[in-house]
Amino acid sequence: MTRDEFERNKRRFGDDVDAWPAPFRQEALTFMAGETDRSLQDDPDRAFDRLVLEAVLMDSDEQALARKVLARVDAGQARPSFLPGFLLAPAGLAACTAAFLVVATLAGYQVARLQDDLPDSELLALASGARLSDNGLSGDGIAADPAAGEDSL
Amino acid sequence: MVPAAVQHEEPRDDELLARVAAGNQGALSELIARHGRGLRIFAARYLGNAGDAEDVVQEVFVTIWKQAARFDPARGRASTWLYRITANRCIDQRRRRALRTFIGLDDVHDEVASQEADAEAATAARQELAIVRDGLSRLPERQRMAVLLRAVGDLDIAAIAEVMGGSAGSAEQLLVRGRRALRDHLRDHLATAADGRERKSS
Repeated sequence: MTRDEFERNKRRFGDDVDAWPAPFRQEALTFMAGETDRSLQDDPDRAFDRLVLEAVLMDSDEQALARKVLARVDAGQARPSFLPGFLLAPAGLAACTAAFLVVATLAGYQVARLQDDLPDSELLALASGARLSDNGLSGDGIAADPAAGEDSL
Repeated sequence: MVPAAVQHEEPRDDELLARVAAGNQGALSELIARHGRGLRIFAARYLGNAGDAEDVVQEVFVTIWKQAARFDPARGRASTWLYRITANRCIDQRRRRALRTFIGLDDVHDEVASQEADAEAATAARQELAIVRDGLSRLPERQRMAVLLRAVGDLDIAAIAEVMGGSAGSAEQLLVRGRRALRDHLRDHLATAADGRERKSS
């Protein structure tokens, strides 16, 4: 950090360097302390963290970032979704999918239960090995009580 | 005279988040001015890709715009919350990248590191910093995240643990191992470079 950068950041963030946001704070403290900072010499981990910070620093344009973010925010507000907000969140979408599956499963069981409610005579006919006709009724003589007739087992 | 709000960082960030939650875009811009740089450096060095980092940080601030009301000052510092959102977005981005690479849609390389390696080679200066960057890009992901949260975000162990979703003990272990691995990498490479210079001079 140069003297100009330090002064510029002081105008942006105030005189209290400890209250500056990271990584401006660490850079300013290093700048103010200089190379002979005793606290850094006494704390090798802190000194190493400063070395890592110096190594990873890169140019950044926060004004351009702010413009892009605000453009995305405005674009999001300009195109309101017809879906409720909670449906757009992953958790909301998952909850709705789960609810749909439960309802579909229950409905399926309900319909199947109504369709499979066969009369006792048909069940007995099936047990005797007779073939049911397409309309679900038994064919040749099967409707008769198997226990009473000659077709009984 | 400096306004009282400037004297301390945390109330100011809290206040900005409250104003963002109320729909104030100026407060969002101020939040970006304060934390955008740190979050972008963290994301770029964790992901190793400046373009991905830019996307991630934009997503983070859009998320903050939508969900600022969820921030509870009683549960932690604002900066910790910002880094937590960024860390989660970075992990998502890394998974997406890994999936795209796996199915052959991407050919990823360490964009940030490779550009800087060229610059370092051209100037042959600040070798130590280049070695640290190289070592950082080779660290296991969680160690790298812990080291970056400490060095860039200036977060303490408790905050690192909160960001990474673990205990303070495991966060400290990650930080200790990461620093140790980086120091070893730096020492080995500086020794190799010194040997090379000696051979050349002799």
